[in-house]
Amino acid sequence: MRMLSHKAKTAQADLPKPRDATNAGTTAAHARTGRKWAVWIVKYGILSLGAVIMILPFADMLIGALRTPVERLARPPVYWPAIPQWHNFIRAFTDLPMLAWLTNSVIVTGAITVVQLVTSALAGFALAKYRFRGQNLILRIVLVAQIFPFFLFIIPMFFILRYWPFAGGNDWLGQGGTGLLDSYLALILPFAVSWYGVFLMRQFMLTVPDELLDAARIDGASEFGLFWRIALPLVRPGMVTLGLLVWIYHWNEVIWTMTVTRAAPELQTVTVGIQLLRSEFFDERNQSLQQAALAVSVIPVIVLFLCLQRFYVRGLSMGSLKG
Amino acid sequence: MTVSALRLNPAKMVTQKTAPYLFLVPVLLFGLVFFALPLVASLYLSFTSWNSLVAPRWIGLANYEHLFTRDPLFLKTLLNTLVFTVGVVGIGVPASLLLAGVFSRSRYQALWRSIYSLPMVTNVVAVGFIWWFVLADPWGVLNRLLALIGIAGPAWLNDPSTAMIAVVMVFVWMHLGQNMLLFSAGLGAIDESLHEAARIDGASEARIFWSITLPLLRPTILFVLITSVITAISYFALILVLTEGGPVNSTNVTALYIYGMAFTDLRLGRASAAAYVLLVVIFLVSLLQLRVLRRGGVEAY
Repeated sequence: MRMLSHKAKTAQADLPKPRDATNAGTTAAHARTGRKWAVWIVKYGILSLGAVIMILPFADMLIGALRTPVERLARPPVYWPAIPQWHNFIRAFTDLPMLAWLTNSVIVTGAITVVQLVTSALAGFALAKYRFRGQNLILRIVLVAQIFPFFLFIIPMFFILRYWPFAGGNDWLGQGGTGLLDSYLALILPFAVSWYGVFLMRQFMLTVPDELLDAARIDGASEFGLFWRIALPLVRPGMVTLGLLVWIYHWNEVIWTMTVTRAAPELQTVTVGIQLLRSEFFDERNQSLQQAALAVSVIPVIVLFLCLQRFYVRGLSMGSLKG
Repeated sequence: MTVSALRLNPAKMVTQKTAPYLFLVPVLLFGLVFFALPLVASLYLSFTSWNSLVAPRWIGLANYEHLFTRDPLFLKTLLNTLVFTVGVVGIGVPASLLLAGVFSRSRYQALWRSIYSLPMVTNVVAVGFIWWFVLADPWGVLNRLLALIGIAGPAWLNDPSTAMIAVVMVFVWMHLGQNMLLFSAGLGAIDESLHEAARIDGASEARIFWSITLPLLRPTILFVLITSVITAISYFALILVLTEGGPVNSTNVTALYIYGMAFTDLRLGRASAAAYVLLVVIFLVSLLQLRVLRRGGVEAY
């Protein structure tokens, strides 16, 4: 990212200065300045047009969330609400089980994030800082496994959890009960490890100097101590990056959660919750309330992202440049 | 490690030789239960007939045979997947490359980055409904804007001839920022002095882009192309929210069809077979891309 900010500074030199044109006085200089202006206008024209397209649907949602049902039912509907109905956001909590949905989202997403950070950091440390038999094989599996799309796993994973022995009333053969399907574990366990996370943490762990680890070994540190006291503190920015990527991905996850919670409404997260409102969405009287609910599901992630975006960008580019 | 050290401190029983295996235990266990087992299980299921209520019945290749010879809808969903993939990659990748080009030469990068990242951190259900209001509502904001310049917009999501276009548009919108950031990171890694040298030699900006920037950007292009294609072929969450595959299956892609086959129709054997067919498609397409891009250089792209 240092590179980009450096470029941002040099880009200032690209900016045409109108005063130069008048001072130079020659037609050639005029033509050059004119071309620079044209480039400048095209450049920021493209960026601004794209930005409007990015923001417009969100703005449409927020404006919709502030309407009254009467405004929505008018023909044609009133687009700009006369008085912004801010209490629609409060109603999203009082009229819908929003608080339960958000609680489930926080529990599931938080647990997945913590577990993935631990498993990825441990495995990444082992793969980056040790030499052992089978290392290349495991590394290759980690890389290849990322290609397998998730839809392939939905059916078998569902039934692995359903027939989990000794859980949810199941006997040792996995018969008789519902297995893990009615518990938070059904939403967390299938994501306890991410191959991408293992790979990313390995890349970060490679930056830990071997001399530091060897010195600590001589001082009598245990292998786990090396991991916990030396490697982990050094890769803290990498942990933030991975944690943020995982948090955003799983806060927004819907297909698996929807599949599992169909029979367990008490586990529904906020994304599944708003998906369940689908049929109600077609009733125009409720639309403002639902647009408010959408906004509630979206805003926490956007705020988190805006605060930590430099970590996010680094995670994205590490996956591409070194992979 | 001496024997006495082993006796003194249990933590020391973990030696430099055994430690990596211990650190990898969670990953290996997970790999067995939630990676290898599902792959084997669904391969087995693809040769059976199973509705989850009674035991699976072995029927050999009958599922695969049915899909290719007696299920025209499956073939239609494959065609839809092809159209969707070509659409989102063909529009999304060049568009994000163009945006990355202007973005990496502009000021206020933090601002642009924040704006273009909004869709990629938004959950797909919200994206679906936000766009449903923009597109499908008879008084949606897009058709209102089109009306301002005198165009009568179509009923985007309710018309079989425009629904796929609408779905592709929304998908591109959702992934534009992510690909733009990937490309701009790739552009940032290119040594600026190469461009300077070419400029001094009198090369035009277009020439510099084709002869220097694109070849050096090849690893990033390869990465973005392959991940975009894999994502597009296996994607269905947005379509599930926006159109549920309709109208009249015009947006029904294979992954969505498989999901319905499994969890609505409870044809779990056939759905597993279809999933494996799609996996093979993904592998073949990825291999093809790797070969073409490695051998032919960026001209092929």
